Amino acid sequence: MLVAGRIFALGMLIALWVFIIGCMEMAKKKLPSFRKLAGLDALPEMVGRAAEMNRPVHYTTGLGELTGTVAPQLVAGLAVLGYVSELAAKYGVKIVYSVYQAQVMPLATEIMREAYIRAGKPDAFNAEDQIRYLSGEQFAYATAVQGFAERERPAANIMIGPFYAESMMFSETFFRIGSIQLAGTARGYQIPFFAVICDYLLIGEEIYAAGAYLSKDPVQCGSIQGQDLGKLIAWILMFVGVLATVAGSSIINDLLKA
Amino acid sequence: MSLFVRRQLPIVLVFVAAVLVMADYFLKIPGTGPVVKDLQNWGIILTAFSLGFGAVNLFYLHTRHISRRTPGQWPFSTWLLLMIVVFTIVGVTMGPTGPQYSWLYNSSYFALSATVYSSLGFYMTTGCYRALRARNAEAALLLVVGAIALLRNAPAVAVGVPIIIPMEAWLSAIPTTSAQRGIMIGASLGAIALGVRTMIGRETGFLGRLTEAERRG
Repeated sequence: MLVAGRIFALGMLIALWVFIIGCMEMAKKKLPSFRKLAGLDALPEMVGRAAEMNRPVHYTTGLGELTGTVAPQLVAGLAVLGYVSELAAKYGVKIVYSVYQAQVMPLATEIMREAYIRAGKPDAFNAEDQIRYLSGEQFAYATAVQGFAERERPAANIMIGPFYAESMMFSETFFRIGSIQLAGTARGYQIPFFAVICDYLLIGEEIYAAGAYLSKDPVQCGSIQGQDLGKLIAWILMFVGVLATVAGSSIINDLLKA
Repeated sequence: MSLFVRRQLPIVLVFVAAVLVMADYFLKIPGTGPVVKDLQNWGIILTAFSLGFGAVNLFYLHTRHISRRTPGQWPFSTWLLLMIVVFTIVGVTMGPTGPQYSWLYNSSYFALSATVYSSLGFYMTTGCYRALRARNAEAALLLVVGAIALLRNAPAVAVGVPIIIPMEAWLSAIPTTSAQRGIMIGASLGAIALGVRTMIGRETGFLGRLTEAERRG
């Protein structure tokens, strides 16, 4: 019935679900406290700056696909897109979303349209102009974003999702034209590039928490606490695993392979 | 469109699809394999279909640039649309795997793509210059580590100062790898939490949030 080699992983997944759903239920009674995420708190300032400078805001979710292993990063990026679009609508700023995968366009259109409706400015939204499909090829997409940056000189650049080699090209180009930048990715190799250049950075798990953090929904925020319990288990497993390995036992290794 | 179709139905579909795919990964249940394979094939078909949206968007945007003669943009827009038409005609008439299409692709996009990729070296150099400045203790540490890694990869220095080779190897294998793994574990847990929220319908950011009118029903 159970696939060999995936039993422990299934057990851990079920345990995590229990923690997360349990914490979400507890959060209905008492909202857990969080550390501040400077990058997300700075979003109103970034959009406000664009309003003062009368320049657009640029948003992109990188090379995200809805059907691959990076799909959660794309979903996390889309969750922030709705919030930023609402801010842009309220401040009367044009937001342009650069799309790499055409399959994201219907979702993005719905998210942005609803954000404009929430802001009370449905007529200000122009999907064809604000959601721009650039290319499904990495470097064609990268050069198109750079071209947009040079021509329209957005005051703010927000990049949340899976990024690859284009991360450095984007952050350097937008830095050169003076954009204030927020970047977030769970791809370890690109984090240092963003950290060096961007004004604000969301590292790894922070992008997944972004939607919950911005929603201010206690139940969603509770899931982040459940996630922290998962980290505690990972930490205990690592600590016991190191001790066991030093003592010559492979018990934790065998358990992980079960 | 009713609230059920716009909100609840997508969440139900997400839940069912996620449970099926996870069951196929963790459990040996007869019959789930072909269903999951079908789901994945649907994903591929929908992806291909959505390219139509992209093409319409490209044509809309760039024909507007051409008709308005947008300064600095319209010649590129013309070229882009021309190339889309040429690629489409060659692909449809001679096949996307034929020698004509391959020649067109390799001679234009492939060469340009390699050129853009190689320009990354210059971006990295300017980024490196900005990063490697000792403005505070952390930046100074980064400067030292960065200098060791750079010098290790310069053959003349590595030959002249061989101690730098094990130093760099230790930095790569121990502190860097541990930090990367820490980030990976945190990110994986974050993705699971996001998955749980999505499956039970609490994460609705990717569907847009409810308007006040919808909340009131």
